[in-house]
Amino acid sequence: MISTTETETPGFSQKIPLYEGSTQFRHWRYSPEQLARTRSAMNAAAVQAIKDAFEADLPGSSSDVSFLSADEEILLVKLYAGKVSQLCGHFRFPEEVEATAVTYLKRFYLKNTVMDYHPKNVMLTALFIATKTTNHPISLEAYANHIPKTLPSDVLDLEFLVAQSLGFDFAVWHAHRALWGIWLDIQNLPDIRMDELRQAYDVALKHVRASRLTDAELIYTPSQIALACLSLASPSLAAAWARSQHNSRSPTPPSPPTPMPPSESAVLDIIEPIASMITTSGVLPDVEAVREVDRRLRLCKNPEKVVGSNAHKRKQEEKEHKAAEKRARKAERIRKAMEDGDPFGTSLHEQDLDDDDDDDED
Amino acid sequence: MSNRNGWLRGTTIRKGGTSFNSNHTRHTTPQIQSTSSTIFGGGVKDPSGRTSEYFSMDDQCPVCKSDRYLNPKLRLLVSACYHKMCESCIDRLFTLGPAPCPVCAKTLRKLAFTPQTFEDLGVEKEVAVRRRLAKNFNKRREDFPDLRSYNDYLEDVEDIAFHLINDIDVPETEARIAKYKIENANLIELNVQREEQYAQYLKEQEEIDRLDREQRAAELRRLEEEEREEREKGRRELIDKLETSDKDALKLVARSKAQALKRASTRSASSSASNVFQSNAKLLRSRAAQSTVIPDVPHVPLQDDWYAYEDKFALRDNYDDPVSEAVRRDREGIMRAGGYRVEEAWQRALTFAVAGLDLRPLGSAVPSKSTEPADVVMAEA
Repeated sequence: MISTTETETPGFSQKIPLYEGSTQFRHWRYSPEQLARTRSAMNAAAVQAIKDAFEADLPGSSSDVSFLSADEEILLVKLYAGKVSQLCGHFRFPEEVEATAVTYLKRFYLKNTVMDYHPKNVMLTALFIATKTTNHPISLEAYANHIPKTLPSDVLDLEFLVAQSLGFDFAVWHAHRALWGIWLDIQNLPDIRMDELRQAYDVALKHVRASRLTDAELIYTPSQIALACLSLASPSLAAAWARSQHNSRSPTPPSPPTPMPPSESAVLDIIEPIASMITTSGVLPDVEAVREVDRRLRLCKNPEKVVGSNAHKRKQEEKEHKAAEKRARKAERIRKAMEDGDPFGTSLHEQDLDDDDDDDED
Repeated sequence: MSNRNGWLRGTTIRKGGTSFNSNHTRHTTPQIQSTSSTIFGGGVKDPSGRTSEYFSMDDQCPVCKSDRYLNPKLRLLVSACYHKMCESCIDRLFTLGPAPCPVCAKTLRKLAFTPQTFEDLGVEKEVAVRRRLAKNFNKRREDFPDLRSYNDYLEDVEDIAFHLINDIDVPETEARIAKYKIENANLIELNVQREEQYAQYLKEQEEIDRLDREQRAAELRRLEEEEREEREKGRRELIDKLETSDKDALKLVARSKAQALKRASTRSASSSASNVFQSNAKLLRSRAAQSTVIPDVPHVPLQDDWYAYEDKFALRDNYDDPVSEAVRRDREGIMRAGGYRVEEAWQRALTFAVAGLDLRPLGSAVPSKSTEPADVVMAEA
């Protein structure tokens, strides 16, 4: 009895909203400026690293290579995000899988560059991981067999790298589910005409799919994206629902992060840029332009990642060397410990932990 | 007496032949009268008062080296100095009076041999020592002014037991025991009496309970008997009346039924008096239970401080929902995983629809301080 009252006393005001506890909110929420900065900085660093690799291989060879810009990288990623939905149609995966795979792909290229890992392979791996994380598993053989020129190893080789780049944050809050929720909740409004709503929902769902090609989900919350899509389909319905949300909320002022619950127009202000973002950049890029980018990419790939190249060999040797050194160090430590009489060594905090796990290859 | 101690004279009294292969213990009832004042317990008795004797196929007499293969009736007994010997050796060596132990030369008597209870003779010895000590060292917590002195006393007892078991300073220890005995003779006697009283009390309580049960069973039987007789009588009367009188048969039957009902109700009232016994017994039992009740605080398994937007939407029983149409129509549950409820899917969707609806994007015109996260992923190549 006592304990239950105790849990209730902290009360409403100190509770954290569920969305703000998600990894999507905590790790994958950016401002547009942050996104641009992240991408350009990563692009610049990658170009520098690849230039160095070229120079080490053959001095002067990097001068006539035209590297990709950050925008061109986005273009390529976007094209392959579109390929994901083609593949999902082929496999008849549900929408959940498709949306998750696209999110993975976009998040991966916030931590890696196209010049290190080609989006074609990453896309296949991201989709394969998404089937597993959304509980629609398919066997690796069946998956690879249905995709031309793909071996199971192509999918698996990158799997850990992709998962690691995602920070193992596999759970994604999707806009299409939020749209479904709006569809359900909007039925509570008085005098709603179902045929009109149905039509608006279908159009809004198309906009949600288009929004996956944009950066919307990295900037806004899924509910905002869904509402924006609905407002694109039917502004009156979206405004009515936003008003009802605002009204239902006012008697009990909740959640601390926004001390003053913004008015319904504030919500509509937030979703306005989303709507314009979806209409302007929610389209697949021109295939010819992307083909041009892809052709250039073939020349400026990171040579350290191309199997068979000198730089790759050198990198491998370096890795081997490092690993051997590490093994030797460890053997030495164990031998010393044995001599000291304690086979398990000294206690952990006393010895110097060398955590040079060689997974930071970039 | 002669029958009981027959084995000591060399005549075996084992009943049921020799069934070795069953298990490694067997039950015999050699009730030995101990005459020795030394450490001497004789095996451990089970609740029925019999001794579970240790027994193994590999038994061999250490004195004459005869084993179970040669002599299936081989029975090893343990001397006061904890050495094993077979019955025939004991007869041979000790029939003419006390003689030295063939192993340790301690003087032994024939009567001081006991059956072996434990495989390990060390355990046998410890049990005997502790049993002997418990007879004298029977002080209770109430006999001491504080817990500290009681613990000291227990420590002393443990010390003495250890010395006796491991044969350390035996004479001194024996002297200590004797001194204690003299000093505390009164208290020891008192505690022995107390224990006897308590045992007596338990026995009486049991007896009362048993009598109570028997009485109740007899009462019940009596009632049943009466009821049966009355029924019989009523039927006979009815038949008589039907034969003799010229009234309506249906009316007669109805009247006799009403009478029977009345009788039954009076009977049940009288039997309720006997229930008093029962409730008394129950009360006693529940009082005993109450004294050991531990307060039962309800367990709250999930205690978190998440706000799940409960106030922002109201889940309805039904929606016009083409997405879940097929699942809802599927009454047999072929499409549903175990425990799937469409209401939960709806609730999740509604939560998504309202979650973070008024969260301003990062870097927007009206930034609130809390929305600027410190752990934004840095641009690292």
